[in-house]
Amino acid sequence: MTEFLWRLPTQGDGRHAGAATRHRGGFGGPAPVTPATDVRPGRFGPFDDLHQIIDAAELSGLDGVLAPYDPLGEESWIVAGGALRATRHARVIVEFQPAFGTPVYAAKVSATLQQISRGRLSWRIAVETEEADARARGDRVTGDDRYARAAEFLTVARGVWNETPVPGAGFKGTGFEFDGEYFDVIDGGFRGILSGLPFPTVYLSGTSAQALELSARHGDVHVFTETPDGITASVTELRERAAAAGRTVRAGLEIPVIARETEQEAWARAHRQWREVHPEDPSGDLALGDGRWAGFAELGYSQPVGLVGSYEQVAQRLSGYIEAGIESFVLVGHPHIEEVHRTGEHLLHLVDPAGRTLAAQEATA
Amino acid sequence: MTIDIYWRIGMEGDHASLRTPRRSNRGHAGGYGPGNIAPAIRDGELDGYGYIDHMAAVAKASESAGFLGGLLPSFPVTDDPWAVAAALARETTTYRFMVAFQPGFLHPVQAARMSASLQRATGGRLVYNIISGGGGPAQLWWGDKVSHDDRYARTSEFLDVLRGVWDGAPYDYDGRFFHTEGAALPPGLAGQPFPEVYFSGSSGAAVQAAGRHSDYYLSWLEPYADLRAKFDGARAHAETFGRTPKFAVRIDIVARHTEEAAWAEIEKGWAFVDRDAANRAAQGDSVGAARIKGWVPETITGYHDLEVQPNMWCGFSLIRGGPAFGLVGSYEQVAERLDELIDLGVDAFILAGNPHLEEAYRVGEEVLPLLGRSRLTAPNSEAALSFSR
Repeated sequence: MTEFLWRLPTQGDGRHAGAATRHRGGFGGPAPVTPATDVRPGRFGPFDDLHQIIDAAELSGLDGVLAPYDPLGEESWIVAGGALRATRHARVIVEFQPAFGTPVYAAKVSATLQQISRGRLSWRIAVETEEADARARGDRVTGDDRYARAAEFLTVARGVWNETPVPGAGFKGTGFEFDGEYFDVIDGGFRGILSGLPFPTVYLSGTSAQALELSARHGDVHVFTETPDGITASVTELRERAAAAGRTVRAGLEIPVIARETEQEAWARAHRQWREVHPEDPSGDLALGDGRWAGFAELGYSQPVGLVGSYEQVAQRLSGYIEAGIESFVLVGHPHIEEVHRTGEHLLHLVDPAGRTLAAQEATA
Repeated sequence: MTIDIYWRIGMEGDHASLRTPRRSNRGHAGGYGPGNIAPAIRDGELDGYGYIDHMAAVAKASESAGFLGGLLPSFPVTDDPWAVAAALARETTTYRFMVAFQPGFLHPVQAARMSASLQRATGGRLVYNIISGGGGPAQLWWGDKVSHDDRYARTSEFLDVLRGVWDGAPYDYDGRFFHTEGAALPPGLAGQPFPEVYFSGSSGAAVQAAGRHSDYYLSWLEPYADLRAKFDGARAHAETFGRTPKFAVRIDIVARHTEEAAWAEIEKGWAFVDRDAANRAAQGDSVGAARIKGWVPETITGYHDLEVQPNMWCGFSLIRGGPAFGLVGSYEQVAERLDELIDLGVDAFILAGNPHLEEAYRVGEEVLPLLGRSRLTAPNSEAALSFSR
């Protein structure tokens, strides 16, 4: 069964493409004052909106949510903690960059999150972040060194983690030693309530040789982004590198989607949003000719290329990716609650009927 | 004074749009097909959620989209609004629960106890929608044979007793329908704010009963001239009690970025007209329903025949259950029509649309911010982003 995750917004949400008119979540400014009685001011915070999106993904049957790393947006660990508490089924993927702290501390925080969620937490490591962001954080590690550090980070985090229960013994570890370029541990290792939990599934991303090599050696899922040239070559390279390392790594794809009842409605939506941000260039003629559209970044998405079409057309394209080896999708669309419902109600069971239709005939009310 | 605007919760399940045949794929009222929500299907099995989880989502959407609260309607086939209000009380913040109920089915002292506890649970967010019944098969299904005008007399007695016991002092009552001796709310429950009363009913008997008891006189949407006459009648009657009634209107809305896009929604839904279902729903002795029936032509050549005045369409009951009249148009047009209704004397609205969740956001974010532009300049106020709870 294919995994379908939803990318949560980090800087608010709304119906429109322009950031200033996206009022949900407190990033776009307050709603206008009108004659209607308004009891919201002071009583609603950004996480009320965010949690409505998390609820929507959970109720619509998505498999999980991604809390993305965004230095200018909500903090992903805090989002993830709330999301795990607010859901029963959803996997929650927390994205963070490896300089955020020590790997032992990341593992420690994660052990608590695994404990409260019965093992639903995953990690996504953002290795290549923007230079200015890294400098602002005081992170002097650059270029390929970032991949070396990420590899050490994952080695240490897995090293201190004990999936089988180990009795507590004060401050004593379980004998894990590490003397690396970036991290050092002496007699590390989790015991007691920190042990006996599943290690988070590790998602990684990127298209460079270093990125793919890191996944091949340390990752569980490698998440690609669609390009005009497609993803087939990258998926093949990932497979080859993983095989050379004696491992298997699943391929994922993060992609924005505008799906409607008809193809025409979907394109009308894409073009209407385009005109909001580009009133001077209303054509928005960025169609790649096969149901893919290269204008998403302009609408506030973090990926340029996504899918536009009828539910059936978009489902077919997603099925095509599955045939190309994709096992995990991160979908996104805004406004999030509305698009999550479209995805759950109209799309997923077409792409992936296994598990999304009832195995046994239920009584009809 | 500001205008109180509520949003309805569908208590019977909901469907993904008005464009499709009436299959409730949200909740369990329509069975479980692919794409069901609350419960959804995971790993070939229902995932343990229920329609209450979706109703919670609608309530939270309503409050964050700028509605004051929501109407929780009551029908034989739906979940019960008292139970739903109790369930959602603690997972909402500002949402006012407008609980619809018929006084005949509940003893007023019991209603007072439930109301007082809900006020304590919510910080005073309970509102009443008092309905006195539409008669016909539905009324008999409830086990209620009381005649139309007597139902209003009973409603009136009910509210006398409910108010009588509210402040906690022993209360005796000897009426046609209810009797109490020394009844009172216990000290722990007494002293809560009394819920606002939205009173439904279009007949003379309803106006009689409403005059003494209602805060808001609630009507379905009707053409302006009819609404004005209705309001005038209620106002004149209330004056004999020295009261000034307020008016509320319940309106379905299809608003889109253009007028054409809004009518295109109606056109798609029109493919699934069910005249028989609409007629069945209109059985009974409801004067309001009879008034509406008079507006729907016997012979209809197309959905545009039912646009009885600009942006006011009386075909809603033909494509889904509920009232016939609603507003169809661009965001700006619908906001202008609501402004006209405010000018006509409306103090509160109960709005609705399918699907309730998504349309709550749409109307809250696209229509409500335009209110007042065509009739007054909205007051300036400091942006209030500070947040404390």
